[in-house]
Amino acid sequence: MEKPLTRDPGFWIMVGIGLALLVLGPIFIDMFTIMQITQYVVLSVFALSLAYIWGFGGILSFGQAAFFGLGAYTFAVSSISIGDTTLPLVLSFAIPAAFGVALGYFMFYGKLSDVYLGVVTMVVTLIFWKLANHTAGPEYSIAGVRLGGFNGIPSIPTINFPGQPDAWLDPAQLFRFFMAVLVVVYVVLRILIASDFGRISIGIRENETRAALLGYDIRRHKVIVFALGSGIAGLSGAMWATYQSFIDPNAFSMEMSAKALIWVMAGGVGTLLGPILGVIGLQWLTLKLGMMELLNSLVVLGAIMMVLVLALPKGLVPTVKSACLAGWALWRRGRGVSASAKKVTSDD
Amino acid sequence: MTETPKDEGYRILRTSGLTMRFGGVTAVDNVDFELRDGELRCLLGPNGAGKSTFFKCLTGQLVPTEGRVLLKEQPITGLNTHEIVNMGVGIKTQVPNVFDGISVYENVRLSARRKHTVRIARDVAEATIEKCGIRHLIRREVGQLAHGQRQLVELAMVLAASPDLILLDEPAAGMTGDERDRLAQLVLEAARSAAVIVVEHDMQFIRQIAKFVTVFNRGAIFREAMIDDIMRDRAVQEIYLGKQADAAA
Repeated sequence: MEKPLTRDPGFWIMVGIGLALLVLGPIFIDMFTIMQITQYVVLSVFALSLAYIWGFGGILSFGQAAFFGLGAYTFAVSSISIGDTTLPLVLSFAIPAAFGVALGYFMFYGKLSDVYLGVVTMVVTLIFWKLANHTAGPEYSIAGVRLGGFNGIPSIPTINFPGQPDAWLDPAQLFRFFMAVLVVVYVVLRILIASDFGRISIGIRENETRAALLGYDIRRHKVIVFALGSGIAGLSGAMWATYQSFIDPNAFSMEMSAKALIWVMAGGVGTLLGPILGVIGLQWLTLKLGMMELLNSLVVLGAIMMVLVLALPKGLVPTVKSACLAGWALWRRGRGVSASAKKVTSDD
Repeated sequence: MTETPKDEGYRILRTSGLTMRFGGVTAVDNVDFELRDGELRCLLGPNGAGKSTFFKCLTGQLVPTEGRVLLKEQPITGLNTHEIVNMGVGIKTQVPNVFDGISVYENVRLSARRKHTVRIARDVAEATIEKCGIRHLIRREVGQLAHGQRQLVELAMVLAASPDLILLDEPAAGMTGDERDRLAQLVLEAARSAAVIVVEHDMQFIRQIAKFVTVFNRGAIFREAMIDDIMRDRAVQEIYLGKQADAAA
């Protein structure tokens, strides 16, 4: 637990895999697959936003899609009206984060309990979804960009090099850029979680009363965590918008919020790797099931979800980890290492 | 400390007319309580006498229905828990409030970190853990520990912040004889640099530490006297010890 981040091999392995994919991916993998992986990368950033606030801040939000959609629309509107994508990317983080501060302020300073927090975040998402659907007329335009109601906003520009609006990234470059974003988000979150700020967040997750009784302002702490998660979700929304070059109100849908919850739950709450694996596994499965056209993919996913909750209630990564630790302990005992050594292993 | 605490002057804690009602139930009823700086006070009283509710009013976990709380002569009624705590109050709650999912060391370090820099917090945490006799548990996850051990972890968290006023709600519950003796030493030691209020039922433990005692009954202060007088007091025996005897019979 107290091991510094720089001495954690898991951290370096993850960063190594990310950078290796970033550099070597477009060289060795065909372009169609790369574009497929790009989608997973974008959704992984989205999954990380919830993995952080839920797993490391104890905030269970049913409304991550609100920030995802807000980021996507922010990017769509600002990139079309500005004609350059650099500032819109920043805005797609900043505006959802600012909205996260406002919403978080009311929720956490109002001392909402967990259940009501879930309800409020869900309702906020529904409001955004409804609102976005009702912006069909020409009067609904921001900076000359029509929001388009349920038809959404088409022709969202591809990311360009900063200051060169005509120098668009090709698919390989886009993949590399998004992969870099994912690695940076992962590294920043890991550093944050390992810092004292992050450890206090974990303390708040474990026991709010004690955190307050130690003199920590849990409300302010939670607002910061929530806003950071909101900003990251917004950024992933922007990545999604430019990847698809199109955005519609379904970015705000309950399905988007639910997917994030499912990825994090399946992969393991309290890890960052798990939710990424959740994205890859479940999105890949959805794709395959969709191609089979045999069963409704949502029904199958629902069934898988139920099995996961029953069989791996802690999620994939924590289960595998404790199984490995138990196996390691057994192996050591088998080799005649004393029982006390085994105890140390299981104590980690 | 034989003088009675009735003289005027600085009080680290003062409540006047403190009342806490839950619907029709009055859990704390018009309590005027005073504690001098550096005093060690024991709070006795049967279950449901309002001792824990009284503590919660002092730490801002509950906002009293009526009355005032002065901490270091400053009104704190209505302040948030963390604001009160940062004025120098540490509390060990009746049911230990600890961070279950993380290690003993990290629990105590997070407490010390509130006041100290990273490096000093580390030293303070280690020294406090050593002092509380839980060095051998330092890497264990708190959620896996026995009740008495969790009590010691929580006590270490309270002591690591070196508060000026320490509130201990049934600290000896679930402890073995050895652990309880150590606890008594720790409480006496802590009382040298801070004011301490201890709620406890364990009479052996009380005898080890108590001097001046306040007895609660039905939310109100029933008696305030030296421990020997309290032990001889027939009325106290009836409400408190009598009930224990009844329960044992």
